[in-house]
Amino acid sequence: MSVVEVLFWLLSCLALGSAVLVVTTDHLVHAALWLVVTLGALAGCYLLLTAEFVAWVQVLIYVGAVVVLLLFALMLTRAPTAPDAATTTRNQPVAILAGVATTAVLGVVLVDGFRGAEIDVDGAPSGAADSIGDAIFRHWVLAFEVVSVVLLAALVGAIVLSRRDAAELSGTYGPGAQHVPDKSPEGDG
Amino acid sequence: MPLLWPLLLSAALFGVGVYGVLARRNAVLALMGVELMLNAANLNLVAFDVWFRDVLVSGQVFTLFIIALAAAEIGLGLAIVLRLFRAYGHVDVDRVGGDPS
Amino acid sequence: MIGLTLVIVLPALAALVGLAAIDGIEIALVSVGGAAITFVATLIVAVPRFGTAGPVGGSWGHAWGTLNAPDVSFALRADSLSAALLLLAASVALLVQIYSVAYLADDPRYRAYASIVSLFSASMAAVVVADDMFVLLIGWEMMGVCSYLLIAHYWERSDARDGAAKAFLMTRTADVGLLIAIIVLGQAVGSYRISDVLDAVAAGDLSGSTITVTALLILLAAIGKSAQFPLHTWLPDAMPGPAPISALIHSATMVAAGVYLVARMEPLFLASETATIVLGLTAVITMLIAAAFALAQDDLKRVLAWSTVSQLAYMFAALSVGSVVAAIGHLLAHGAFKALLFLAAGSVAHAVGSTAFADMGGLRRPMTWTFATATIGFAALSGLVPLSGFFTKDAVVGAAYDAASGGGEGPAPSWLAWLIVVATLFTAVLTVAYATRAWRLVFSGERRGSETAHEVPALMRWPMVVLAVPTALMGLAVVRPGWLAGSEAEPVHSWVAVTSTAILAGVVAMTWLLGRAGDPATRLGPIRPVLAREFGVDAAYNRFIVAPTLAASGLVLATDRDVVDAYARGASSGAIDASRLLRLAQSRNVQTYVTVAVLGIALAAVVAGVTA
Repeated sequence: MSVVEVLFWLLSCLALGSAVLVVTTDHLVHAALWLVVTLGALAGCYLLLTAEFVAWVQVLIYVGAVVVLLLFALMLTRAPTAPDAATTTRNQPVAILAGVATTAVLGVVLVDGFRGAEIDVDGAPSGAADSIGDAIFRHWVLAFEVVSVVLLAALVGAIVLSRRDAAELSGTYGPGAQHVPDKSPEGDG
Repeated sequence: MPLLWPLLLSAALFGVGVYGVLARRNAVLALMGVELMLNAANLNLVAFDVWFRDVLVSGQVFTLFIIALAAAEIGLGLAIVLRLFRAYGHVDVDRVGGDPS
Repeated sequence: MIGLTLVIVLPALAALVGLAAIDGIEIALVSVGGAAITFVATLIVAVPRFGTAGPVGGSWGHAWGTLNAPDVSFALRADSLSAALLLLAASVALLVQIYSVAYLADDPRYRAYASIVSLFSASMAAVVVADDMFVLLIGWEMMGVCSYLLIAHYWERSDARDGAAKAFLMTRTADVGLLIAIIVLGQAVGSYRISDVLDAVAAGDLSGSTITVTALLILLAAIGKSAQFPLHTWLPDAMPGPAPISALIHSATMVAAGVYLVARMEPLFLASETATIVLGLTAVITMLIAAAFALAQDDLKRVLAWSTVSQLAYMFAALSVGSVVAAIGHLLAHGAFKALLFLAAGSVAHAVGSTAFADMGGLRRPMTWTFATATIGFAALSGLVPLSGFFTKDAVVGAAYDAASGGGEGPAPSWLAWLIVVATLFTAVLTVAYATRAWRLVFSGERRGSETAHEVPALMRWPMVVLAVPTALMGLAVVRPGWLAGSEAEPVHSWVAVTSTAILAGVVAMTWLLGRAGDPATRLGPIRPVLAREFGVDAAYNRFIVAPTLAASGLVLATDRDVVDAYARGASSGAIDASRLLRLAQSRNVQTYVTVAVLGIALAAVVAGVTA
């Protein structure tokens, strides 16, 4: 086995292990941090697969922005820093079943379809920045513009959603108020 | 390297992500599961693109777009979680929506 | 024919019109007026028919419909038998309506009462002048309905409701016999007309078994309607009805309809020895036990009720030896004096507020008119010469004696006739005893009870006085030859007359002496409770008929509720359970929904992979 393969093995074990920890740990903040490890390991995998640009964008956006956003959300929703007793729902056994079933189905399909295929990682890197940039701005420029509009919409939407209006600010309801309503939103489901 | 290794890794990550979405009580943690699933899909795309040596590099470009959209989505999702917290005082997915358990 | 129809239609019309009357005066006018007009019509129709030989009348040939082969039509006929009963019914009805004006003056249900009494008069007339057996049946059943409604007039009282239901159920059960007999006769003779049936019997067209069976069935209906053994228990329990009703329905007319039916169908009975024997034995048993029961009662109206049962048995005994004249004569006399006695009982009840002997006593001074008329009534009941009861009772005993010594008509075997002679004489003893006891307990001695007694108003007095006249004098008319079609003068058997007078004197004296200390019945000692319980016949009925019927109906109810209804309820609860199951899919938990979706997709992928 070549160096690349060994490294890939190690990184995938790391990614898988920390992903399992993300979904099973009782410390909520630790889950976010294990997510950082997972995403970083995946970036390493991308590098080994010669997808350089994707790897760095992954680190920049996912590890940099998304995880920070998750940590902010944990803070704003007053997540406890101590281990939380009830982090899993009653759904757990069925969820395990669903996860295993999904993996099994996907695995079987993939193995059945691509047994024996090899990636050539020794040739020219396919994911260098210039070739990606060339492809985007020559062939995928329309999608690129649309994505930027989507990002704008998400930005505006997030601002609108998280705005406090006058009634909230005066303290009639919301966590800042004396009485925290614990009611179902609209009638019975 | 065998194509199967990245593919099987992505399948495993996807399964772990599914478990995370379905079994976690805190809404933010459920969203982390969603992120795991998205990343699994990204890995799948990149692996296929490198193996296929696509001229248009469509797999990796698609991955970039997914990353951008995932960022947008998690921003909005967390804004919704914030609203949920303001309304209920907690983000326990079992207790919101009137489920008595 | 028109007259006969009018006799039926007029009271029915009065009943209808009476429902529209507003206050007591209007009701009284319509009811008394209707009864008076009916009485006049009855006079016009009946008087010419006394003494005529055969049936006179016609029919509307209008067929109401075809039941199998024979036609049902509105056919009427009247002979002297019908005339006698028509007159009795119409006159007593008129007197009762007059009496009721005062008796029910404060009653809020007087209007319904008066209408039902008018309707009853129409039904009785229909029974008596019917030539088509279905017309008779209709009138018969209508009488039963009116009796039920009137007994339950004071329906707040549970004994009134129970007595009405008992009377209706017992008579109705017995009426099944009449219905079956009508159908059998109609099929056998080919016509539902009574005249055709009697002609067929006379011509010997019917087989012996048909005659016996139908005669026994008709006897069953008569036993039910006239309260003979074993269906005798309903009449005393019908006493919670108003006293005028007891006078009209339960002494003079409705219960006498059983006697009329047997008298009308007499050729049928005479042609069957079995039926005659059954009739005679029933009469003998009934007259003895009823008179015995009357001796032990504590209530004046119950004494009179048992007395009625006993006297009706006299009439049936006369019919079983073939003497229609004696039977009908006694029926007329009994109608007069028993109606008088019941009206007097009503007056006493009106005065002292109850019908129990314990509340009476010493009423001779305050209620002179009632005392005088009631004395005449009791005396006629006991058979004191020369009142009507004397002549008619002697006629019955004499007819039995004639049959026993071989000179009478009818197939009654001589042992039966001798039995009847002995039984009638013995019953006479008991009759005098209970009549004297009742008379004493009501009118002499010390005043028991708390209410001060007063004489009753004029409207209640005069009907009693009017009834006292035929009570006293009818005997002379009955003795005359030919008053009933085809009868000769009844010879007054001298030995019978002497015997009965001797009995009367002896028993009166004995009862008086025994009763000097108080109630003579106490001298009966331990027999008295047995008699008061009426041999427990009712209890036996309750245990063997009523209780199993109620249990069976309870079983049916339970089956309907738990078996049949269970399916209906099961359908609804099954739907509810199914919906509860389905509701589990709507758990409002997002993770559940996603779980199901993921599992479903995995399953679909597997299926697609396997089948592709």
